Amino acid sequence: MSPQSLKETLHRRVSRIAEPQILFPLIAVVLLAATWGATLGLVRIKHAEAEHDAATLSHELLGTYEAQVVRVLHEIDQTLNLVKFWHERAGMHGTLAELKDRGLLPPDLVFSVGIADRHGTILESTRPLGAVSVADRGYFRDQRDGDSIRVGHLPQGATGDGRVPFTRRLNAANGDFDGAVIVAVDAAFFVSGYDASKLGEHGVLGVLGTDGIFRVRRSGDSMFSGDAINYSSLLPKPDEVDADPPVSLSSWDGVRRWSGAREIYGFPLAILVGLAQDEQLAAVEKNSAVYLWRAAAGSLAIVLFTALLGRMSWQLAQSRARESESKLAHAQRIEYLAYHDGLTGLPNRSMFSKLLSQRISEARRYDRELAVAFLDLDRFKQINDTLGHEAGDQLLQEVATRLQGCVRDSDTVARLGGDEFVVLLPELEDGKLAATVAHKILGVLAKPFTLIGHEFRITASIGISVYPRDGQDEQTLTKNADIAMYQAKAEGKNNFQFYSEQLNANSLERLTLESSLRHALERDEFRLYYQAKRDIRTGCISGMEALLRWEHPDLGTVTPMQFIPIAEETGLIVPIGKWVLKTACLQSVAWQNEGLPPFGIAVNMTERQFLDESLLQDLASILKSTGMNPQLLELELTESLLIRDVENTLRILTGLKSLGIRIAVDDFGTGYSSLATLQRFPLDTVKIDRSFIGDLVGPAEDSGLADAIISMGKSLSLTVIVQGVETKEQADFLRAHACDELQGFYFNRPLPANQFAQLMRAQTANITYVGTRAGLQNQQP
Amino acid sequence: MNSPALGALIFAVLAAPSIFAEEIVVIVSPAAKPISKEQISDLYLGRGGSLTPIDQTAGSAIYVQFYKQATGRDVAQVKAIWSRILFTGRGLPPKQLPDSAAVKQAIAANPNAVGYIEKSAVDASVKVVLPLD
Repeated sequence: MSPQSLKETLHRRVSRIAEPQILFPLIAVVLLAATWGATLGLVRIKHAEAEHDAATLSHELLGTYEAQVVRVLHEIDQTLNLVKFWHERAGMHGTLAELKDRGLLPPDLVFSVGIADRHGTILESTRPLGAVSVADRGYFRDQRDGDSIRVGHLPQGATGDGRVPFTRRLNAANGDFDGAVIVAVDAAFFVSGYDASKLGEHGVLGVLGTDGIFRVRRSGDSMFSGDAINYSSLLPKPDEVDADPPVSLSSWDGVRRWSGAREIYGFPLAILVGLAQDEQLAAVEKNSAVYLWRAAAGSLAIVLFTALLGRMSWQLAQSRARESESKLAHAQRIEYLAYHDGLTGLPNRSMFSKLLSQRISEARRYDRELAVAFLDLDRFKQINDTLGHEAGDQLLQEVATRLQGCVRDSDTVARLGGDEFVVLLPELEDGKLAATVAHKILGVLAKPFTLIGHEFRITASIGISVYPRDGQDEQTLTKNADIAMYQAKAEGKNNFQFYSEQLNANSLERLTLESSLRHALERDEFRLYYQAKRDIRTGCISGMEALLRWEHPDLGTVTPMQFIPIAEETGLIVPIGKWVLKTACLQSVAWQNEGLPPFGIAVNMTERQFLDESLLQDLASILKSTGMNPQLLELELTESLLIRDVENTLRILTGLKSLGIRIAVDDFGTGYSSLATLQRFPLDTVKIDRSFIGDLVGPAEDSGLADAIISMGKSLSLTVIVQGVETKEQADFLRAHACDELQGFYFNRPLPANQFAQLMRAQTANITYVGTRAGLQNQQP
Repeated sequence: MNSPALGALIFAVLAAPSIFAEEIVVIVSPAAKPISKEQISDLYLGRGGSLTPIDQTAGSAIYVQFYKQATGRDVAQVKAIWSRILFTGRGLPPKQLPDSAAVKQAIAANPNAVGYIEKSAVDASVKVVLPLD
């Protein structure tokens, strides 16, 4: 294992120890071990101390007792020798009485002194000795043969008042045996120093003969005499006189004691001292029990405490984990939201931008092509406005689903916002693939959508840019796809376009127009031109159509074809349209005030204007503020616009009619609407599209179609106007076919207000056919 | 304990004073100072004191009664106490005199001596410092 990995392993282990389920049991074990180690150590130490103390005490007691016994024995022997001296010297009765009178005998309390003759008969005594003759006693008999102190003993049993006799030989003048002096000492006296506070109830204090027979021994308050033991093992070894005695089992009562014995120099006696093991250790064992109980209680406390801590720590860890989990989930949610569109769940602009950069890098590395297809729903805003946002959202979701169904897994569909979607085709094996996909998309979107119970059809415009041809970076590719998409819209929508340099140029122009269009109203760059409508029979002016012109300071006159689609798309058409209506009304009122005839004035209306919610309100206020007679105002609407949503159209038209405004259908005949549908609308005028009269003088079928359309208009009791009459032949044909009014360059090109006023004044002065040939050149209206 | 033994004990305890009905008094030499019962008790049980105690014959009726009244101890207890003092070499038991007359004589002769006799035996040679009952 390398040092690095060893270090890591170590680190891992250490951090594992820090985990609560390891740490707290570990702490508990360490604390328990410390507690029990300390307790058992303490118990052992205390025990050892107590044993040592007991051994030391027994040694000290042995020394003390020895000194006391030796002193007493010497006093006894002194008495024996004194009596012996006096008796042998005086050789008469009354020795004891005389000695007693002189205070030379020991106290009567425990000592009795007697003299026996050579036969053992007691001659005299300080107190009765309990026997008349001691002839048969061993201590007496022994004195016949020797001259040393002898000590008798009591019969085996409780000591009671028994006395221990000490004797010395009496010699006659010739040195023959002449009896013995006897000092009888209360056996209890020898153990009267028994101190229960040191020796307890089972200690032992005793005097025994070198014959092994106890003269007396005492344990507690019990005293025994006469039993024999082998005390040699209790004597100290010659080189260990000062050593503490060991524990041994006392043979006479079966008690374990620290016991020691000493032989008394000059006497046939020994002493014995013992401390009972159980008594001496009772205190320390009681303490040990207390220590052990405390340790047990402490252990319990440790276990409970660490368990509690462990539990708290575990709960803390759990709640931390939960917190971090929820933070993580929250962060993931945030990230998802940051990169996805909330409505459709598709990647959003940020995500798409990232993906595209990534894909471009890949394409560059593998020398591949990729395509970016921008997609914008046509008329989405109108759907949103008329059906509400919910329906719009539902539509977008459905579109998203359908788009995803069109592409491969490796492709990406994203929503950039609003009704703008983008499809990224990162692996373009074949340039045609992009077209195929675009085609497929148009196909699936063409299928009807069902929104809030209604079936709708929508179309989309798609612009495609291809890497590396149309751009090397993300910005360029997206910009160019956007331009191509606008081109598709300009091309009449519901189609797709590839980007080209030309498109870029157009797009620039368009952008320029769009930005100046925003300021055109406030800079007063719009003008209204008026084109006359003439009665087909008299050729007199019967009305006019107001046409919008934009006098751009740099570009000169911009035709409606160029800017109306932009105004429509951007919504600028609504304020522009209001300006047109108001200006037309003001002009009409001004002319009438001049004394000119009250001609009708027609104003074109785009889809956006028509669907604008405040249309009726705006019209009412314009009519009111200008004082315009609503009967003179005619709004021109295209047929296709009218039939798009019949119910809604009917509602708006009814509103217009209630204001008293006239309604004309522009480009009549192009929308393929049924007669039944048209019949439902409160129309006043139909304008027949010029395409129907282009070849009126040509093949019979064409003129037949124009004839049929005019007849249809007439059958609905509508005023029929034909637009774009450019030649005399056309005019003649129409006159022959009972058309009501004509409009076109053949009759009048559109004129500014002042010129148109002149025209009207001229007609008023000289009501004749004024067929100006001016402007027969084919100009844009 | 069987009832004869108990009876004997009760008899002994109750009868003892009635047998030796005579009142005992503690006496000192006429010149000596007064002395308390506690001092007497300490003196006769070997617990110290500056005076010299004089005793009567061990086991005599007056001896038994005196120790009972003066120290509250019986003969065996007194013997054990003095045995211990004697054995450990811390003192000697009071000198025992054969009768009250000898005691009186010894007291009269020694101003530091203390003794006890029957009240009836008191005469002018000694002074009663403490009657016992």
